[in-house]
Amino acid sequence: MKKSTTKKLLVALLAFVMVFAMTACGGGGSSEGGEEAAASGGSGDGTSITLFNSKNEIQEDFENLAKVYEEQTGVHIEVYYSQDTVSAHLATKYASKAPYTLNMVDAKDIYSLGKQYGADMTGAAWAEDTDYGISVDGKVLGFPTCIEARGILYNSAAIKNALGEDFDPASIKTLDDFKAMCDKLVAAGMEAPTAILKPDWSLAAHYLQQVYEEREDPEAFIQDLYAGKADLMKDEKFNALMDTFDVLKEYNMFKAGAISAEDELVHQAMSEGQDAFQFGGCWEWNDLLTYDYNGPVGIMPVPQNVQDDYTGKLVGGGSKYFYVDGSEYTSEADQEAAKAFLEWLASSDEGKTFVSDTCGMVSPFKSNTVPCTNDIGKVVKEYVDAGNLVPNYDYDPDDHYSKLGIEMQKYLGDQCTREELAAAIQNYWASTTPVEH
Amino acid sequence: MSYKVKQYLMFGGIGTFLFAAVVVVPFIYGIYLTFTSWDGVSPHKPFVGIANYIAAFGDHEYWLAMGRTVIYTVFAVVLINVLAFAMAYLVTSGVKGQNFFRAGFFIPNLIGGIVLGYVWKFVFNRAFVAIGTAITGAPTTSLLATPSGAMFCLIFASVWQYAGYMMLIYVAGFMSVSDSLKEAAMIDGCTPSQAMRNVTIPLMRSSFVQCIFLSITRCFVIYDVNLSLTKGEPFGQSIMAAMHVYNTAFTYKNYGMGQAEALILFVVCAVVGITQVWVGKKGEVEA
Repeated sequence: MKKSTTKKLLVALLAFVMVFAMTACGGGGSSEGGEEAAASGGSGDGTSITLFNSKNEIQEDFENLAKVYEEQTGVHIEVYYSQDTVSAHLATKYASKAPYTLNMVDAKDIYSLGKQYGADMTGAAWAEDTDYGISVDGKVLGFPTCIEARGILYNSAAIKNALGEDFDPASIKTLDDFKAMCDKLVAAGMEAPTAILKPDWSLAAHYLQQVYEEREDPEAFIQDLYAGKADLMKDEKFNALMDTFDVLKEYNMFKAGAISAEDELVHQAMSEGQDAFQFGGCWEWNDLLTYDYNGPVGIMPVPQNVQDDYTGKLVGGGSKYFYVDGSEYTSEADQEAAKAFLEWLASSDEGKTFVSDTCGMVSPFKSNTVPCTNDIGKVVKEYVDAGNLVPNYDYDPDDHYSKLGIEMQKYLGDQCTREELAAAIQNYWASTTPVEH
Repeated sequence: MSYKVKQYLMFGGIGTFLFAAVVVVPFIYGIYLTFTSWDGVSPHKPFVGIANYIAAFGDHEYWLAMGRTVIYTVFAVVLINVLAFAMAYLVTSGVKGQNFFRAGFFIPNLIGGIVLGYVWKFVFNRAFVAIGTAITGAPTTSLLATPSGAMFCLIFASVWQYAGYMMLIYVAGFMSVSDSLKEAAMIDGCTPSQAMRNVTIPLMRSSFVQCIFLSITRCFVIYDVNLSLTKGEPFGQSIMAAMHVYNTAFTYKNYGMGQAEALILFVVCAVVGITQVWVGKKGEVEA
């Protein structure tokens, strides 16, 4: 009798452990979301949606915004972030049949992920208020969170300290002007006035990318590259940008170890004014603030000796796009709640303040007149308002930045000549299957 | 249900279920995915036959990464085991504070690969560069800036990580050899090194088999240290096989081919590991 009671108890204990373990495994995000909702005072009408944020630096701000939104509307939004590659992370969510309701992705992902899973947002009021929404096959699928632009970052304070005079970025019109300025800074005691970020995304997806973008018909040029017809060594734009890259290399403060210069050190140098110029964009702002910021830091077009329609313009456009999951795993009601949130983000005072003031991003919406708090963003906004932004090209193959990033790193580390770099870029495109779009 | 089945289910049922759920089923499903051109996200998984295997065998970069992995593994396995054996000898020889040394040598193994990679990246990129610059007076280049330097750093960090763990197995091996056997050998005229070579080491063969197997299999699938220490840099010259597989599957959204390459890596790793165990076990002796 005693034996069988012990046995029953053991079985009950095992069953409990198993059920507990399975609940813990299967619960995932939704149970966490539920607990959070309960903790924050319940979710109004009971609607609870999830949001994937791919901008780590604004995660906390987004969580706070979600609380404000819940207080106003009763809709609970659980904000998630992942260190993983965006598409890889979202792939796991789809594989587990539990995708996020709102997904913040890069523009190119809208053409793949958004096209497959995105809910149609045609007719949304926000779409009328921006030039940066993404439509695929006649459907509005991508909601732009901000505008980001690329160019040469400059630290005005560092230049003034060295030269004793205010720096006017408009005075740098050509590469010769830029080189003269670098020489002046060196003569004034700044040992090395430039620095270069070495990650593949910066070198290939941002710098090299300008070779495709700063021309009348980027698509035709890309098709020529695919067809093996483009000759980069004879291309004026490629040579102009590489000439500038050579100058950046020449004055690089990490010249001795260009390929091992850590991003943190490069950001610190710009933030604290150890150098004067480096290639980058407005997303660097939060990194710069991590250090003893001694600015202002602004942004100017990449100086080139070729003068054309793109001289005096930054390259950029809409960035960090949201698509609403329209797959079978997300209910109609949740999709509508997600669309309503995006509308609120674009048009409400709280949403506008969040984008421009709290996060310091450049708003892609015309009706948003809240001043941007990001020093680089402020300059970008001026370029946007003046129509001086060369659009991004968003249809690169997925391995473009990684494979050509390696080639650019070789060039940065003096491991190849410009001819070899050009040949490697041409070989890459010629051996790649064209991206359908 | 027979008594034996009931007994098995009672003791091994949960374990079997979990093993099947997290190892067997994903493995079989993974094999299925190698026959598709799935991009990792799409709901559709078009069947492409053995096209992914053909592509994998023709993927020049994959085989370069595999070659690099083999070189790394050979150096790392030899150094890990030589160092682990030497440390085990030291901490079983009665040296003062040997328990302290055992704990100290083992600690690196408790640090996760990602953290360990970042720590060593800092040391190689900043500490050594600062020391080098201070000594020579000229800017010193980080070891991580050259392909061979990056490979050295990877091997160094792996040896540092695993040597302490393998040391424990060798310690167990040393302690399992009875002192009386060594004493008998010495009485018969052996020098201490002859006793070590002819008595202790042959009796520790199983420790060698285990340590070499563990270090081979771990080194072949290195990913975490690779990611945090070098991230494949410089110039993609430190991309190991597992990192190439990850890039193919997730970054390039070529899941089917990435999975096929992962399976090939598994087979290579299994063949090398099993062969080593088989050869090692054949010559095992008992006192």
